[in-house]
Amino acid sequence: MNMISKKIKVVLGLALMMVLVFALVGCGKNEGSKEINLMSWGGDFIPREVIDQFTEETGIKVNYKEVTSNEDTQSLLEANPDQYDLAVVTDYMVEILRLNGMLEVLDKDKLSNFSNINPVYQGNYYDANNEYAMPYAVSTAFLLVNPEGVEALGANPITSYADLWQEELKDNIVVIDWSVEIMGLVLKSLGYNYNETDPVKVAEAKEKLFQLSDNIMRFETNTPEDSLVNGEAVVGFMYSNQAVNGNAQDDKLVPVFPTEGMPIYIDAFVMSKDAPNKDNAYKFLNFLLQPEIAAQIADITDFITPNKAAEEYLTEDFKNNPMLNVSDDVMANTSFYIDVAAVLEEYEHIYSEFKMQ
Amino acid sequence: MKTQSYKLRTFYLSLFFVILYVPILSVVLYSFNKNPSTAQWTGFTLDWYRELFSDRIILESFKVSMIVAILTSIFSAILGTASAIIAIYVTKKMEKAINGLMLLPLLVPEVALGVSLLLFFSSMRLPFGYMTLVLSHSLFCVPYVYIMVQLRLKEIDNSIIEAAKDLGAARWQIIKTIILPLVFPSIITSSLLSLAMSLDDVVISTYMSGPTSTTLPVHVFSMMRVGVTPKVNALCTLILLGTFFIIGISEVFSKKNSKKEEEEVD
Amino acid sequence: MVDMKKFKQNAPAIPILVWFGILVGIPLIFVVILSFLSRDELGNIVVRFTLDNYKRIFDPIYIKVFINSLFLATLTSFITMIIGYPVAYFTANLEKKKKALAILLIMLPFWISSLLRTYGWIILLGNTGLVNNLLIGFNIIDKPLSMMYKFSTILTGTAYMLIPFMIIAIYNSVDKLDRSLLEASYDLGAGKWKTFFKITLPLTIPGIAGGFTLVFIPSLGLFFISDLLGGGKNIFLGNLINSLITKGRNKPLAAAFSVGMIIMVLIVLFIYSRLVKRNTGGADENSII
Repeated sequence: MNMISKKIKVVLGLALMMVLVFALVGCGKNEGSKEINLMSWGGDFIPREVIDQFTEETGIKVNYKEVTSNEDTQSLLEANPDQYDLAVVTDYMVEILRLNGMLEVLDKDKLSNFSNINPVYQGNYYDANNEYAMPYAVSTAFLLVNPEGVEALGANPITSYADLWQEELKDNIVVIDWSVEIMGLVLKSLGYNYNETDPVKVAEAKEKLFQLSDNIMRFETNTPEDSLVNGEAVVGFMYSNQAVNGNAQDDKLVPVFPTEGMPIYIDAFVMSKDAPNKDNAYKFLNFLLQPEIAAQIADITDFITPNKAAEEYLTEDFKNNPMLNVSDDVMANTSFYIDVAAVLEEYEHIYSEFKMQ
Repeated sequence: MKTQSYKLRTFYLSLFFVILYVPILSVVLYSFNKNPSTAQWTGFTLDWYRELFSDRIILESFKVSMIVAILTSIFSAILGTASAIIAIYVTKKMEKAINGLMLLPLLVPEVALGVSLLLFFSSMRLPFGYMTLVLSHSLFCVPYVYIMVQLRLKEIDNSIIEAAKDLGAARWQIIKTIILPLVFPSIITSSLLSLAMSLDDVVISTYMSGPTSTTLPVHVFSMMRVGVTPKVNALCTLILLGTFFIIGISEVFSKKNSKKEEEEVD
Repeated sequence: MVDMKKFKQNAPAIPILVWFGILVGIPLIFVVILSFLSRDELGNIVVRFTLDNYKRIFDPIYIKVFINSLFLATLTSFITMIIGYPVAYFTANLEKKKKALAILLIMLPFWISSLLRTYGWIILLGNTGLVNNLLIGFNIIDKPLSMMYKFSTILTGTAYMLIPFMIIAIYNSVDKLDRSLLEASYDLGAGKWKTFFKITLPLTIPGIAGGFTLVFIPSLGLFFISDLLGGGKNIFLGNLINSLITKGRNKPLAAAFSVGMIIMVLIVLFIYSRLVKRNTGGADENSII
């Protein structure tokens, strides 16, 4: 009996120790030390070598929390605003976070390199007074096409969204899996704007969307270009960095900038209002704004750089790539998804109906 | 007749294992693929292994995952087994209540559980990191231990316990000398399962990890956006090899042990 | 006096109740409350009582999603049971050493991230995947077969992912079977099959029931398998709830779907436990389901 109770004590002791270990490990964050906590897309979105270089220069450690959606970033930031210094979010989320009062006004005095940013990418709808966001990466979405494949199917060459409705393309199109993108594509093909709220136009778009059903073979947000590379599909509607990747794997695949225009996205850095390491965070942002660094980032990530001064440091490959060095007339034909919130619910519903028909 | 049925069994089992491992072997195979995406095979390379060892983020997140998984499985094994044993001593009604309670974490969709735990823990001002990860992982691991151990307990002949009681054995003694040895295999399998499930969790970990505690699956999942490179395949190949290695070693040890036991019996 | 005795008997359970009550109970209550709240245009939760979320669940499209998920989960459970039972049964009858090895081999896939195992299927079944390359290489076909992005692909992937749960649960009860019962049955002249159906199967029903629970519930919640293998063309509850939170910014509706899903699972488990009880003559009254 005695021995058994001893054992129990040991077990209890172990359990207690474990709890203590958790508590210690959990509290192990050193306050106000030389580090910053940032939250952003994973992969190489903020290249590790750039981060390492920053750490080497300043001695500030960068803790990188990886997320997969703007909405997760929002949930995490709003639950613990004092755990994060910086986050990268897409334009519309900057607006939401700003309206929710989560963001710090960036002190431009501490960002001496801010003027490197192309004025085109400053003061957009989500941050009209240019206070809260530091544009980091710009991307678009367009069509990546396998012209030989299109011809083999007997379809006409593809120049616009409207061409996607050709019967010959049955089961040969891959698209981004998001209601807003797909509804936007359909609305554009009808000559309307993104985020149309007029019920008549939306109803028209819905009907047209349903006619596209047979042609779509796959909805894929992450690696749609794979379907073109392996020959499952001949047309893909995807983000620019994915198209660049697809084209790099197989140069038969060419970009088509739809005549109706295309969406543009700006991923921007924002600072949490309760950021624990604000000074370090400014140092990091200023570091990223250096032309050489911005060029290096653009080169690694395949995103268009909003950094005007960086352009001269870009590699020849980058400069000669029409998907990354977008000509002015194509760029003029792009637009943001403004005010997604107002239409999101309706679009999501139509989108579900579309998939479940 | 007997050999024929034996052959049939062996054939069925072998076929099953082949199908079970073919997708895994393809993952292993593609860790040697030159092409960074799974779309094509473009040639053999060992580059991904080299890159893996210079990728401190992957290695770091793997370490975090292992620590969390080991703590979770120990914690869940203790809690799950204790609950299962307690459940045989309480009244029938209470047992049913515990059964129901154990099922709950499995019922709530992971995202919903993740988000509500996020709000709950942050309102408690718990620091997000190892503690929140282990707490949340043990939520969905304890039920598995509980179910597995309970399944085993159900098979124990009640008369053994009754007899032990009649002989004046105290509750702890019964648990220690009869119940624990009997359910031990279940504890082992279910803690291995907990370990694996903790290692595999993405959704809850997304919400539970702090800025310095990214787990491997969260890292891999976030890589999906720009394409999961064969580096991850390479890591999994190594994990698999490591596991086989450990199994091999334990096999050798158990052989030694069983020999010893035989000698002792003699 | 009697109550006191009962209380004493139940006292050890208190820590469990408290532990789970806090860690599961509070989040669950939170989900339930959330499902009755509204949200503003930005997607922020607004504390204003509404039944709208529940009304929306009953939208015909969403009903279809429920049915779709139920169909997938039921099918997955049955397939894993039919394929897994013999595996568990044969494994339990192996000699000791082989048995341990087989169990290890069944558990080992769990060590590989489920995301990667899903990629494994893509590598196998894709247009330029291993199977197609092999078939084309041997001139069996000249155009790649399209095996991806179908309901059957999702089913294969889901069953593949969850079958070890079923096997382990069944194995646990087969392994503990009293061999003397089987021998007695043989001695009484019952054939192999008769013994199996009259003795083995009924005695292992708790294992099957446990396996069913462990497969059915997760298969409702898995989401990336259907996205990756199904090409996002089908919507299941797991995907829907996931995308409502991570894309749709509609947490209250997601909460309502979660509650709906929990109720659906409870109903299914209830019906199922009735069936099990009838088959085992109520012997298994206190099993987990």
